[in-house]
Amino acid sequence: MKWQIALGAFATVALVGMLGFVAAGEQARMASFTAAYQARQIEAGAQLFEDNCRSCHGPQGKGIESVAPAINAADLFNGQRLQAISFPGTVEDYVRASIAAGRPKPSAGTNYPQRMPTWAQRNGGPLRDDQIDSLVAYIMNWKDRALAEAGGPAPGPSGPTFGTDISAALPAGDASRGKTLAEGPLGCANCHLLAPVGPAWLAQPGQQGIGTRAETRIKQPDYTGKATDATRYLVESIVQSNAYVAQGFQPNVMPQNFGQRMSAQDVADVIAYLLTLR
Amino acid sequence: MALFRLHIPILDDVKAKGLRKAVADKADELVTRVTAGMNTSAVRSMLRDDPPGRPNPRLTPHAEGFWLHMKPTYYHSLVDGLYPTFRLGWLSTFFFAVEIITGVFLMFYYTPSPLVAYENMLNLLGNVPLGRLMRDIHRLGAELMVIVVALHMLRTYITGSYKKPRQFTWATGIILLGVTLFLSFSGYLLPWDQLSLWAVTIGASMAEAVPPEVVGRNVNLLVRGAPEFGANGLLRFYLLHVIALPLAGILALGVHYYKVIHHGHSLPPGAEEVGEDTATRIPMDRRVYFMPTILTRELWYVLGLTALIVGASVFFFHAPTLEPHANPLVTPLHTTAPWYFLWLQGMLKFGDKVIWGVVVPTILGGLLLVLPYVEVGPSRRYGDRRIGLSAAAVAVVVLAVLSYMGTPHYAVTTSPDQEAVATLLPQTEPGPLRLARWDALNLGTYDASRWQSAPNDTLRGLLSTFYLKLTEVQSKDRSDVQGLMVIEDWQTGVKKVTLRVLWKNIADGSPGEFSQSVYLDKASNYAQGE
Repeated sequence: MKWQIALGAFATVALVGMLGFVAAGEQARMASFTAAYQARQIEAGAQLFEDNCRSCHGPQGKGIESVAPAINAADLFNGQRLQAISFPGTVEDYVRASIAAGRPKPSAGTNYPQRMPTWAQRNGGPLRDDQIDSLVAYIMNWKDRALAEAGGPAPGPSGPTFGTDISAALPAGDASRGKTLAEGPLGCANCHLLAPVGPAWLAQPGQQGIGTRAETRIKQPDYTGKATDATRYLVESIVQSNAYVAQGFQPNVMPQNFGQRMSAQDVADVIAYLLTLR
Repeated sequence: MALFRLHIPILDDVKAKGLRKAVADKADELVTRVTAGMNTSAVRSMLRDDPPGRPNPRLTPHAEGFWLHMKPTYYHSLVDGLYPTFRLGWLSTFFFAVEIITGVFLMFYYTPSPLVAYENMLNLLGNVPLGRLMRDIHRLGAELMVIVVALHMLRTYITGSYKKPRQFTWATGIILLGVTLFLSFSGYLLPWDQLSLWAVTIGASMAEAVPPEVVGRNVNLLVRGAPEFGANGLLRFYLLHVIALPLAGILALGVHYYKVIHHGHSLPPGAEEVGEDTATRIPMDRRVYFMPTILTRELWYVLGLTALIVGASVFFFHAPTLEPHANPLVTPLHTTAPWYFLWLQGMLKFGDKVIWGVVVPTILGGLLLVLPYVEVGPSRRYGDRRIGLSAAAVAVVVLAVLSYMGTPHYAVTTSPDQEAVATLLPQTEPGPLRLARWDALNLGTYDASRWQSAPNDTLRGLLSTFYLKLTEVQSKDRSDVQGLMVIEDWQTGVKKVTLRVLWKNIADGSPGEFSQSVYLDKASNYAQGE
């Protein structure tokens, strides 16, 4: 019986000791859990953005001209956009409110005729509150890069727009400017460089780069476009992307408005860059 | 003057006996009241295991007090050892108490609504001191309770203790087993993450199979509160979990324990003549008194086990990582029922849901319930019960095999390309890719077959795992299988990892593809195992 009392006493001391041990580390554990959960919200938000927002706001939230504005943009995070509509809250409030309630009316002076739908379940949309929080966390995570990129190439075409005529005259192209455009304001790289959304430009195991493929593709029997050389094939792919859709990909995934977003110089520069990818 | 005189006897005592003596007497009286009949010196002598005086003061609490009135004054020395009870009934009660205490703590922080249940879990884990510990203990206690209760039943069967006159004790025990299983099962749904929703959905889908169709449909509606789990289903499971089932458990436990004491703990099978039951007629020299032997043992068991279960929850066992919010539209690959219902999931793979999901389990449960009224062989001795004991051994093996069959390893037809991706990106646990060191995921495109040329050990490990599993995609229908891992810089501190499986269908030469992406934040820390 003595050993029972001894063991019981020892167990009690051990119990109190363990509870003290847990309690001492509890503040740090709770903080680490919360930090990890916030990071996972960004991950979930990235997926939600791809599934729900990208089709209008463009890859990486860079916006699509006359469809939906850029969210990954300096003027959102530096407060200019909020000032323009006299929004009193923080950027985060603005993003959350816009997602949850949608935008029944476009901001004055913008060219976005489409109305943004409501997304919150409590407003009749499809997303739960925690999903809206995740999206907000993901969007706010663009802040640093968006503000840092503010000095980059100006969006918008560098002259009169090119249109959709694939035989229009092209000036001499500058491959390095084309690379900057493709990876920056035009957003091509988001789908074509490595991601499996559109055909990858870079050479991959078992597949040559886009510059080489452009030459061979027009000779393929299933080719449905009108181009006769590599340059015109690439022009056609940019401004009339549905003329021929490479095997394994779907039509209409690529935005149809690049002819309205790019000048002849822009098109020539991008093609010059693409032809370097052998 | 007499009008204002206060009646304070202690003052009179102090005047008569002096302060010290008066206070000591008062304390003694208090102890006597709390113990329902034992004064300080009697408690002291009991704890020191001195011989009791005459009349034995250690019998008074059994006669006077509520709690000890339930306990026998003495036990047979043959049931005092580890064998034949293995203390399993006592342990079941202990874990039931642990569940009630930790459960009430968890209830403080929980609201049974799909709008906030998941948020409550986040709050419990990230904002409530000792919240995770309480959840871990509650979960560990639940798992152990299921195990202990099942072993208790097995032990009762093996020692033949269900036989006359203890048939009804056995029947209430079967009810308690059911209550335990459904308590555990109903609690599964409450965190409202993907794991809970789908594990419970699989279990509850049996309700739908009850024939005929009109009954099944309505039983399903009663159980889930709607065709699928939602606000009503969560509320129903919550109320079952915190009120209905514990109440049923306490009532059945009361009857069960009353019967145990009424008939006495059954002696080991060989201890008495066949057909005799002498458990309540304990000879003087065979008596082990509750006080002090059993009392001190149970006290130290409670202290020791509490320390053990808390220690296990602090250092080894954690309730499963909270998964993403429940989503009725997305079924995770490889979802399973809770482990104690895997045998049921295994049986369902035989075919018909009505027969294997409803009819057979109902018959089995019914057979267990009426077993002592049907199997009326008089002898409890092992040598006379070869068929019965063999049947138990077979049943244990069959349950184990069925449980294995219930896991996704057995006869689940998923496409091998999805399986290959799921080895790195499983949908029911974090898995190797999410657990991999974020910094080691160098940007680029990697071919799984050339895993040896990957830039670091982490990537080599991931790609070789992927590559090994890809060999299973190669089949008589598919050739030229290729696996790619594409890692892109996506955002500040976020990478996008895409796993692609490409192949050629041999029949028509067309290409096939399966791909899945995941976004990984630098700080998402899946390894902390909350």
